[in-house]
Parts: sequence; C-alpha cells; structure tokens
Amino acid sequence: MTTVIHAVIGYFWLLFTVRFLTRRPGAQMTPFEFVLVFLMGGVIILSIVGNDRSETNSVIAVMTVGLLHRLVSALAVRYRGFAAIVEGIPVVLLDRGEWRTDVMRKMKIQETDVMAAGRVKGAKSFDEIRYAILERLGSISIIKQKE
Amino acid sequence: MPLQTKPVEDTVPKINNEVAVGEDLDFQRAWWRVERGIWIFFLVLIIADLLGAFGRGWLAKAHATTQDKSLDVSYERIQRYSTPSILRIKIPGSIVHDSKAQLWVSEDLVKSLGNQRVVPHPDRSVLGRNGILYTFPVSTPPMTLQFALQPTSIGTNHISFQSPGFERLDLKIWVMP
Repeated sequence: MTTVIHAVIGYFWLLFTVRFLTRRPGAQMTPFEFVLVFLMGGVIILSIVGNDRSETNSVIAVMTVGLLHRLVSALAVRYRGFAAIVEGIPVVLLDRGEWRTDVMRKMKIQETDVMAAGRVKGAKSFDEIRYAILERLGSISIIKQKE
Repeated sequence: MPLQTKPVEDTVPKINNEVAVGEDLDFQRAWWRVERGIWIFFLVLIIADLLGAFGRGWLAKAHATTQDKSLDVSYERIQRYSTPSILRIKIPGSIVHDSKAQLWVSEDLVKSLGNQRVVPHPDRSVLGRNGILYTFPVSTPPMTLQFALQPTSIGTNHISFQSPGFERLDLKIWVMP
C-alpha cells in the first residue's frame, strides 16, 4: 500500500519537476541532463522503496510506475491539451534567417545548440538553415534552405 | 477484420504556410508564466527547508521545560517519517531518590514516534497509565536521557513526560511525510 502511494507521488512529482526544467532531458543528453536523470532517479527511488528491499516491493513499485506511465500516455493521446501540458509543444527557434531571441532565452537554448543540430543535417553555417524547431521531446529539428 | 484507416488531413498548424509545426505561442507564453511561478515556489520551498521548516534544521529544533524544572526536554518539533532523531531529557537531582530516577512517557513515544532505544538502559520499564514508567540508575545527577526516535505516524503526534509527583510536560510533534 505504502509503496503504491509513494510510487504515485514519486512519479507525478518527478514528471512535474522534469516538465518544468525547460530543457527536457532525454533527447539532449549533455552531462547536465545525465546528472539530472541519475540523481533524481536515485533520490526518488529511496522514498518509493523505503526500508523494504523485498522482491515483492520492487515488483509492485515497477508495476505501479509502468501503469501510471501507460495512463498518462493514453490521456496524452486522447486529449491534446493534456499532451501539451505533460509533453510540451514544439516552438520555432529560427525562422527564415531570424532568431526568435525571446523563445531562445526562455527555452535556455544557445545558438551553438542549433548549429550542432544543423551539422547533423549537413548544414555548414546558419545561412543554410531556414527553420530550427525545438521539438516536444527536446531535440532540435532543422529544415534547410531550398537549394 | 479489415485494418482501420482514415485519409491524411492537414491537422497540424503550419508556420508561414510552409512547415507543419503545431506551434502555439499563446499556450507557450502562458506556460512560461506558470513555469516562472513554479520555480519561485520551488525556491521558497528550498529556503524553507534550509531553515528547517520541514524538519532537520534550525526552525525544527525545540526546547521545553516544566515550570517546576523537573524535566528539561530538547527535541525536534518537526520530524520526518522514518527518519532518526534524538530526543534528550535532562533529569535534575531534585527527582533522584535512592540513586534512581523515574520517568513516565506516554505510549505515543513508542507507537507513533517509533522509539528505538533509550540511553542509558533503564533498570525497569513497567507498562501502565497508557504509557511506560522507566526507572533509571543515577550515579551523579544531573543526567541526560536519550530517546532514539524513528517516527512511524505522519501528522501531529502528542507525547507526554512526567516524573511521578512532579509536573507533566506535554509536547506536540509534527511528522512530515
């Protein structure tokens, strides 16, 4: 019983905190995001399992978190507004040669991050990038200028 | 059973009528405002925690004495669930008789606050009056008793201490989840 309650609180608290980190960990695994993922996971698991290190407890905790994830995913697919809250929405960082500086600042994205994504798509400089879009999951999509 | 299909429609809003991004700047601006509020809230919580508002800090520490000075208790008024803490009781010479001191503690000290052990070890412990009456050997008063607590009950807990024939001390301890 306690494990289930702690797992529910832990899941939603972690989701809530990570969602408010602005730059979502996962797609952009810089050392900063590694620290967040491992440290937060390690801290939250302690309160979920508590002093009970039994197999039963860990199985229940894993099943609870798995079910919650499935529930949140199902709600996100069903309701677009809920998806926007838990997963975020894409935002344009670079629009036809113009940086959207307020968006960049608020999303804590640097021009070098955009150029890094551009190089993956074969762009040699910003001139070759028509659009840069910060996706819901934290990756940056690049659409190059037409030849 | 046939596979369900539907025709592709342009449901994702385009930017500059060129790229289907699905951007919603009104939502995003509202989100940034909420985000700012949440981080201020987090900052307030962290400062409150550093001060001990959620236990294990300056604000959590407390001290209580009976008017007749028979008991002097140092404790944490805010504790955390299943987290060890020490409650200290100073026993003055006035309550020591025949090199022994008696102390009655209410049962919540064990039931809710999870008393793990008492130092020094009592000579006797007798159950009664909804609590436990301990008898401790005292060689040179004053002496300090230590109760090692590990709370098992979240919320407000009331505990009482009394040396027989002296004033009773009632304490309220809040246990954080």
